[in-house]
Amino acid sequence: MATEVKLPRLGQGMESGTIVRWLKSEGEEVAKGEPLYELDTDKVTQEVEAEASGILLRIAIPEGEVEVGRTIAFIGKEGEAVKEVDETGARPQTVAEGEQPAEHPGPGPSLSTPTNGRVKASPLARRLARERGIDLASVRGTGPDGRIVAEDVERSEVAPTPKAAPVVAPSADVTSTPLSNVRKTIARRLTQAWTVPVFMLTVSADMTRANELVARRRELDPDIRVTITDVLTKVCAQALMRHPDMNVQFTDDALLAFPSANVGIAVAAPQGLVVPVVLAAERLTLAQISQVRGDLVSRAREAKLRAEDIEGGTFTISNLGMFEVDQFVAILNPPQASILAVGATRDQVVPLDGELHVLPMMTMTLTCDHRAVDGATGAEFLKTVKASLEDPGLAL
Amino acid sequence: MPELSYREAVRDALATAMREDDGVFIMGEDIAEMGGSMGVTHGMLEEFGPERVRNTPISEMALAGAAIGAAMQGMRPVAEIMYEDFMTLAAEQVVNQAAKIRYMSGGQLTIPVVFRTQGGAGWSPGAQHAQQLEAWFVHIPGLKVVFASTPEDVRGLLWSSIYDDNPVVFFEHRTLYGVKGHVPEKIEPIPIGKARVHREGEDVTVIATGRLVHESLTAAEEAEKEGVSVEVVDPRTLQPLDEETLVASVKKTNRAVVAHEAVTRMGFGAEVAAVLQYQAFDWLDAPVERVGAKFAPLPFAPVMEQFVVPHADDVLAAIRRTVGRGN
Repeated sequence: MATEVKLPRLGQGMESGTIVRWLKSEGEEVAKGEPLYELDTDKVTQEVEAEASGILLRIAIPEGEVEVGRTIAFIGKEGEAVKEVDETGARPQTVAEGEQPAEHPGPGPSLSTPTNGRVKASPLARRLARERGIDLASVRGTGPDGRIVAEDVERSEVAPTPKAAPVVAPSADVTSTPLSNVRKTIARRLTQAWTVPVFMLTVSADMTRANELVARRRELDPDIRVTITDVLTKVCAQALMRHPDMNVQFTDDALLAFPSANVGIAVAAPQGLVVPVVLAAERLTLAQISQVRGDLVSRAREAKLRAEDIEGGTFTISNLGMFEVDQFVAILNPPQASILAVGATRDQVVPLDGELHVLPMMTMTLTCDHRAVDGATGAEFLKTVKASLEDPGLAL
Repeated sequence: MPELSYREAVRDALATAMREDDGVFIMGEDIAEMGGSMGVTHGMLEEFGPERVRNTPISEMALAGAAIGAAMQGMRPVAEIMYEDFMTLAAEQVVNQAAKIRYMSGGQLTIPVVFRTQGGAGWSPGAQHAQQLEAWFVHIPGLKVVFASTPEDVRGLLWSSIYDDNPVVFFEHRTLYGVKGHVPEKIEPIPIGKARVHREGEDVTVIATGRLVHESLTAAEEAEKEGVSVEVVDPRTLQPLDEETLVASVKKTNRAVVAHEAVTRMGFGAEVAAVLQYQAFDWLDAPVERVGAKFAPLPFAPVMEQFVVPHADDVLAAIRRTVGRGN
C-alpha cells in the first residue's frame, strides 16, 4: 500500500503550514531522507525530507496552506493505486463499499476543517461582528476547532482593537505583497507583546576589556570569529544563572522558571526578523557559542532554520550596534520575560576618579515583563551583566 | 386538578367525545373485549357497545379504508393501528386516499379521521414492533401529524384531532402510557400546530418529541448543574409545525439540539434543523445538533436496543457540544 505523506507537526503549537513548492514531481523516484518539499510555517521555511522511498505517485496538495496531519502526497510502487483525497475538504474519502457512512454528519468536536484562509466563525458571531464593525480576523476563537463564537466577539469588544488608520488610496507605484507566514507571526507576536506591562532599564558599560578579549581570542584562533554578541551571549547566560528570577516566563496561572539559559539572538533575515536560540549557553565556551551562533545566523540568512533552532528561548539579545545605533528599546519576544537591546560601542568622555577618560562605552536597555520580573531583580541582573562586560573574568 | 396516566388521558378524550357526540366511534384490532393491545380502550365496549367500539379483521388497509369511508360520510372515526410499524400496511389508504380526497374533490369532501397508533423502544419488542415512523407521514401534504408526550397534551390534542376536519395521524409512545400527570378538570382542547415550552432556559434550546421530551428534561437538569441553562420545547404537532415558537426560542438561546427516538438520518429533526438554519441563521452560535437512533434496525436484545436508541446522556452530550464543551 502506498505511504501517505502527511504534513508533520514541526514544533509545538504548529497547526498548519504552507507548502511553498515540491522539490520532486509526480512519477519521480524519491529516497527516504531526500528533501521532498519546501514548507513555510509561521516560524521558518524549511525543506522536509521524504519519510519513505519509492515513486512519488501523487501530489495531493501542490501548494498552499495545509493543516497538520493532512495527507499531501503518496509514495509507493510504480503503478500503485492511491486513495482519492478531497482537496477542499478535511478528510480523505475512504468509505469502503458496503460500509455505513457515519451516522452523524454534524461537525463533531474532533472534526477539524481546513480554514483555507477563511475565518471560522458562527453565523451569530459574524452578525455581531458586522453590526459592531469588528474585524473577525482580529478575534481569537474559543469554540470547537477554534471557531469564533458570539462570546469571543463580545469579549473582543471590551478590549477594542484600534481602528486602522484610513488607507490612502494606493497610487500606481504602490506594491502590495501578501503577508508571508513569518511576517504574520511577527505581527501577531509583537502585537501580543504590546499588551504586556513592561519596564525598561538602561546602563552603559566600559567595553575596554571585552574588546581586548575579543581581539585576543581572534588572535589565538583566527578561524573562529568571536564577536561582541558572543561575549554578550556568554555574559547574559551566566548572569541568568546567577539571577534565576530573571530566567522565567509568565503564564496565566503559573510562573515558569527554566534551568538553563537559552539565549535567542535576533537576526535580520531576508524574510524578516528571526530569533534562533543558543541552547544552554551557560555551559558553552566562548568559542563554542561563536560556532553555534555563526551556524545559526548563516542558516537564518539562507532561510534554512529548522523549527527546533528557534524554540525554547528564555532570553533574547538584539544587537543593533553594527548599524551605528547608539541605543534603543526592544519589544519583548513573548513568551520570554526579558530582552536586551544593545547599541554601538563608542568612545565617550567619562569622568573617573576626578579625571576625564576616553572609554569605549556601550549602552544597553533591558526590557522586562513586569508581571514576571520586578524592577530591582532586573536592575541586579543588569548590574551583573555590566560588571561581567567590564571584567569578563567575572563571568567565569 | 385530577391526575391521569397517559393511557387514561387518551381513553378520557375518546370516551368524552363519544359521550357528547354520536358521530365519534372507534375501530381497530382487538380494541373491544381485549381493550386494545395496550389497554387504552379498556372498558369502552361496556359503556358504548359493539356498534361504536368495533373490532376489525386483521387488515390495516381494510380498517383504515373503512374509517376513511365513514369520515367521508360525515362520521368522526378514530381508527387504532395497533403498532406504528403496521402503518406501513395502512399506508395506501392513509397516503393515497385520506390525504388526497379533500384536494381531489375540490373541497367537496372532508376526511375527519384520526389514525391513532403507538410505537417506541425500551421494552424489547424487536425490529418490527417499535419503530418511530413519524417522518414518513410528515412528508405527505394533506395529513396532520401529532405526537404528544404528556397526559395533558395527549388528551387535549386528541380532542382537537377528532374535531379537525382533516386526517390526523396521531402518534403515541409505548413507554409513556404509564406516565402520570395533572390534567384540567374539563378537557381543554390544545390547538394543533402549537408547540409547548416545557422549561425555559438561556443557553441551548432542545427541541424534542415523544419519549425524548422526558429524556431532554433530565438532560437539562444535568446541564443546569454544569451551568448550562437549557430550554426544552416540544412541538407536539409535527405537521403543521409551530416554526414561530421554535425559531423564537433559538433566537433567544442561539444554540439548538433536535432530539427524537426515530433514526437521525432523514428524520423529523433534519427538517427542524433546516427550518432553524434558514430562519435563525444569523442567530446561531453553533451547528444544530441532532440526537436520534443509530441507523440500524431495532435489536431485540435489551442491551443492544439501549445502545441503538437515544437517552438523556446523548442529549446531554449534544448540549455540551453546542456550548463547545464536547471535547
